[in-house]
Amino acid sequence: MAALGTARWLLRSYLCVKHVQKSHRASVKCGVRTLCSGTQCSAHSDSAKPKFTDAAVQDILTRITGLDLQKVFRPIKQELKPPTYKLMTDEQLEQAVAVATEQAKKLLQMPPVLQERTPINDVLSEDKILDGMDTAKYVFTDITYNIPHRERFIVVRETNGTLRKATWKERDRLVQVYFPKEGRKLTAPLIFKQDNLKIVFSQDRHEDVLDLCLVQFDPDSSEFIRVHTTTYEDVEKHGKYELLHSTRHFGGLAWYLVTARRVDGLIEDMLKRERLQDAVSLVSLFHMVHPHSESAQEAASQQATGTELLKIYAQKESQRSGYIELVLQAHEQTAAEGSAARLTCS
Amino acid sequence: MAAPVRHIAKVLFRLSPSVFHPLRQNESFLCRLPGRPCLASSPFIIPHHLYCKAASSQTKDSAQALEALSRYKEKPWDYLESEEYIERYGTSPVWAGYRRNHKGGIPPQKTRKTCIRGDKICGNPCPICRDPNVIVHHQNVKLLQQFISPQTGMVYDPTRTGVCMKQQKLITKAVNTAQDQGLLPFQIPHVEFSEDFSNTHDAVGKTPPPPSLRSGDSWYKWYSDITPDETEVAKVKKLYRAYLKK
Repeated sequence: MAALGTARWLLRSYLCVKHVQKSHRASVKCGVRTLCSGTQCSAHSDSAKPKFTDAAVQDILTRITGLDLQKVFRPIKQELKPPTYKLMTDEQLEQAVAVATEQAKKLLQMPPVLQERTPINDVLSEDKILDGMDTAKYVFTDITYNIPHRERFIVVRETNGTLRKATWKERDRLVQVYFPKEGRKLTAPLIFKQDNLKIVFSQDRHEDVLDLCLVQFDPDSSEFIRVHTTTYEDVEKHGKYELLHSTRHFGGLAWYLVTARRVDGLIEDMLKRERLQDAVSLVSLFHMVHPHSESAQEAASQQATGTELLKIYAQKESQRSGYIELVLQAHEQTAAEGSAARLTCS
Repeated sequence: MAAPVRHIAKVLFRLSPSVFHPLRQNESFLCRLPGRPCLASSPFIIPHHLYCKAASSQTKDSAQALEALSRYKEKPWDYLESEEYIERYGTSPVWAGYRRNHKGGIPPQKTRKTCIRGDKICGNPCPICRDPNVIVHHQNVKLLQQFISPQTGMVYDPTRTGVCMKQQKLITKAVNTAQDQGLLPFQIPHVEFSEDFSNTHDAVGKTPPPPSLRSGDSWYKWYSDITPDETEVAKVKKLYRAYLKK
């Protein structure tokens, strides 16, 4: 009887733990949104820094990225098939375009922006009796099929008898050995060396580099962060923002620049290509991420929207405000002329 | 008139086949060097001026061939910009216009194993072996692109280009190295991100060290010195009193 009781208690506690883990995971996935539902929480979230995974931030970034169907579905090199021709009515064509837009949105899913992962140096056991038993280390990997790779136990028995958890590099290599992923190699391709990166950047192939990086590395590894930082720096230095526009990497680029407070070049490029709404969204994102900056406080006090935001930003925050102000003036003039013409016509 | 000449030629063939071998090699070298007219003379006619000077001209030609090899060995991509290349190939790829020699209408599914064995080069060598300046190197991107289909991005089959199997392997290796280093573009698969990157699971997260490691004790109790219990020792000694050594 007592045994039954203890067994029931154990089962309940285990289930509780399991549920706690699951809910913890779910909350982490959904971000701050699930936790902050009441008005009390809003003050806390304002004081806390907005993260990449926030709904508002993601919304702005997806809007800035744009959706150029011609660029997303440009012809790729693949096995040739004979072409298929379909006769469609206008409605069917619109439906097909809608389906293609949905598919494009899936393809433009932004890769996660994470902190660098903490190194693993946990020792599970120290068996000095095994010291010198063998000249090689043994690696034991759990190859159960239906578990995520981040829950897989990989341990190493060293030659001095210590049983420790495998480091991140060893983990990546072994998971690739037993569960190979398409396109990933065991040793990192030589394209990620500094010299080769320079050659590739001179050929304007930043998108390819970032795609290869996504395939090869995990989003929280140091290599991933290093390659992304180098690429974003190069893009910013040469002003080649258009290369990444309407790709899945534009969100990451914008986030990197906003957190580093260097959005001037990007805003200038957007204004050159006459994307005023995108520039306004970018400035609003900047104010969201840096609420204590001068321009953010000014904008909050004036409750500014639209081009007003751009003006405030140009006056207060930007280093090269000349171009932004010029463009804003030109825009205002055209707007005034347009309204005057409408008045005279009517 | 023809019959006695043929008879003499047959006798000469049987007696000294080595006489014709250096001459044929000479011809092949002369053909390989660009700009020289091809002397496709028959083996029956032995020009008198070649008889005595065969040896010296052979060394001169091999020296020239060696020179040609070394000129582009360091930078094989320079050859594709040079005048001689443009004169010989123009804008078409290196393998354009090459025709394999084989019996019947259908060519064998594999090209020959190699064109050059040691010093000897075969008759009708493949497009890469026939021109010693054309070197397959992973940095020679322009040459490698001639062997990649612009629509599918795959390396052409050797039955289409006519290269020997050895050169085909070298081309494939060079293309893979170039793609690895980022010199050649290729199609990259799309990756979805649905994993949980929180690192909370014990497999990748922090697990607290076991108490013995924290306190500094050894892992197993019997690793450190164990002082035996006196009463237990006395009991065991009493039990085996008869067998204890004095």
